[in-house]
Amino acid sequence: MSSLPLGSKIGALLGRLGLKGRILVIAIPTVWLLVFFLIPFLVVAKISFSEAAIARPPYLPIVEWVDGFLRVNLNFGNYLFLLEDPLYVAAYLGSVKIAGVATIIALLIGYPMAYLIARSAPDRRNLLLMLVVLPFWTSFLLRVYAWIGFLKSNGVINNLLLSVGIIDEPLVMLQTDFAVYVGIVYTYLPFMILPLYANLVKLDEAYLEASADLGARPVTTFLTVTVPLSLSGIIAGCMLVFIPAVGEFVIPALLGGPDTLMIGQVLWNEFFSNRDWPVASSVAIVMLFVLVIPIMLLRWAQSAGEGEAR
Amino acid sequence: MSEAVSVAGPKPWIDPSAVPFLQINNVTKKFGEFTSVSNVSLEIYKGEIFCLLGGSGCGKSTLLRMLSGFEDLTSGQIIIDGQDQAGIAPYNRPTNMMFQSYALFPHMTVEKNIAYGLKRDGLPRAEVATRVTDILSLVQMGAFAARKPHQLSGGQRQRVALARALVKKPKLLLLDEPMGALDKKLREETQFELIKIQESLGVTFVVVTHDQQEAMTLSSRIGVMTAGKIVQVGTPREIYEYPQNRFVADFIGSVNIFEGRIAEDGESHVVVACPEAGLGIYVPHSISGVIGQKVAVAVRPEKMQISKEDLGDLRNKLSGTIDEIAYLGDSSVYQIRLSSGKRVRVNQSNLFRSEESSLNYGDRVNLGWAGNAGIVVTS
Repeated sequence: MSSLPLGSKIGALLGRLGLKGRILVIAIPTVWLLVFFLIPFLVVAKISFSEAAIARPPYLPIVEWVDGFLRVNLNFGNYLFLLEDPLYVAAYLGSVKIAGVATIIALLIGYPMAYLIARSAPDRRNLLLMLVVLPFWTSFLLRVYAWIGFLKSNGVINNLLLSVGIIDEPLVMLQTDFAVYVGIVYTYLPFMILPLYANLVKLDEAYLEASADLGARPVTTFLTVTVPLSLSGIIAGCMLVFIPAVGEFVIPALLGGPDTLMIGQVLWNEFFSNRDWPVASSVAIVMLFVLVIPIMLLRWAQSAGEGEAR
Repeated sequence: MSEAVSVAGPKPWIDPSAVPFLQINNVTKKFGEFTSVSNVSLEIYKGEIFCLLGGSGCGKSTLLRMLSGFEDLTSGQIIIDGQDQAGIAPYNRPTNMMFQSYALFPHMTVEKNIAYGLKRDGLPRAEVATRVTDILSLVQMGAFAARKPHQLSGGQRQRVALARALVKKPKLLLLDEPMGALDKKLREETQFELIKIQESLGVTFVVVTHDQQEAMTLSSRIGVMTAGKIVQVGTPREIYEYPQNRFVADFIGSVNIFEGRIAEDGESHVVVACPEAGLGIYVPHSISGVIGQKVAVAVRPEKMQISKEDLGDLRNKLSGTIDEIAYLGDSSVYQIRLSSGKRVRVNQSNLFRSEESSLNYGDRVNLGWAGNAGIVVTS
């Protein structure tokens, strides 16, 4: 026993406790998710069913012990309130719309970029990929602030257009939905490009040649071979852009105008301005479900297509 | 197939009036400084199975890719059925290619893979369906129409790839190592099947292969390539029995090469003095040279005889010691060391069943070959 290396001693010890190495490896991320995702989620879910109060914390407990009675107060009012007030439905729809349109724009810009990088010479690919990731080296907040400098009425773009003489008076770009789209597409574009690149770089050129050989023009080849074969990359990229964009708060707050209605801002207002934690929590829970359903659908579509992509 | 297939006579390449179907005129392809295909000219006739045979990197695949339009020519001209292919994109060429990797679209069923090319031509749906069904039954894959490529075995994929390339009835079918991914047994069966299919459709085939046995089995003619050049074109028999140079003799089959100088130039024969073999080798008159010119004599191992007894009246006779024996079942290969130290390879068919070989390691044997067995090759 003493001659065994340390690793097998630990292994033997764990074995006696009924733990195998494999279980241990899975256990670490499981515990992580449990502590940092599931428990906070349950806390938020609990608060969403409580009643707001001017107190500290600003809500009433769900479970109470009063005069020998165990009272469970489940307040569905917060959820009903979300349905009653058209603001919330509009904010959800607005978020999904802005995130959806931004995702499509990011796909239209990102796909050609990813395709070009994947088709460029192998020694240049890493450089191009690094350029895609380069913006992450500065703070996200700073980059969004920089866009204010570009978009404002006496900003870089307006000054340039005025000096060239294309426009006579400054365009209003800042504090519009347009600025929000610019911000979201700019910020999340790398998340679109990277999974698409990873997919397209594996695409065997022989498929494209076979398609051309069988009489397909380049556009037809792209639509009937390239796009279907990179579908899993398209789905992955779209999810990585759409999901965080729906809940985005900073970009609409800094670049958006009074008309820009996104659920992230509503949540912020409920939480910090109104101090209505229960309603803010229910907004968060509903947002989760708004996102979870399309994610599940996409996952399902992806696994259905998995067999073909092999 | 409605259109009548007019295949020129059995050997159109020796008929001076025959018009070549595919003409490759002085084609050169350079990648930067590297010349992949160097001034190649070929004439291929309708209904032929023409094999481009050579080792890896000899330029055979590049030549095929130039025929299909995937590579531009650096210089030269390719004419298919009288039409110059310069500037014609792959999707407009009358050729179809069977890829080495098959390149079957993984997201489509067998049926859709085969229908792909027909749909691109805008054929009516009913005709697409009949032609797909017909070609599937021709390659005996009718039962697998609804499968995806990843649900097929290697041999089945190969058939689908062939069907997909054939279904458009191309003027020229290009096959890049068509049997490369199959195991030996399957390969041999498929070779004969491929010939049958080719004969029934009459399509002209250009096959690229590195496998000389495959080239011998399939082709009407073989073009042997090395370093971007065609070194010999001929029927399998011509290539094997009358190699024009040492490379071809050595590349196709195995061969014993004896270096020497012409010692005697007679009416019907030459004698090549060969110090390695320790004799003057008698060769029928296939060259005209001057006395003393350096030449090499190539003799195929199966055309040699060995025995412990005297070999009678064979023209060329030597003796040596058996160094190694490889028993292959149908035949045995003997490595025989001559007194000069040169090793000679001899194949003998095992005509009779016996448990023990009559020849053993270290045995002193006589070996010889008939006067017409050797051939003079230039170096």
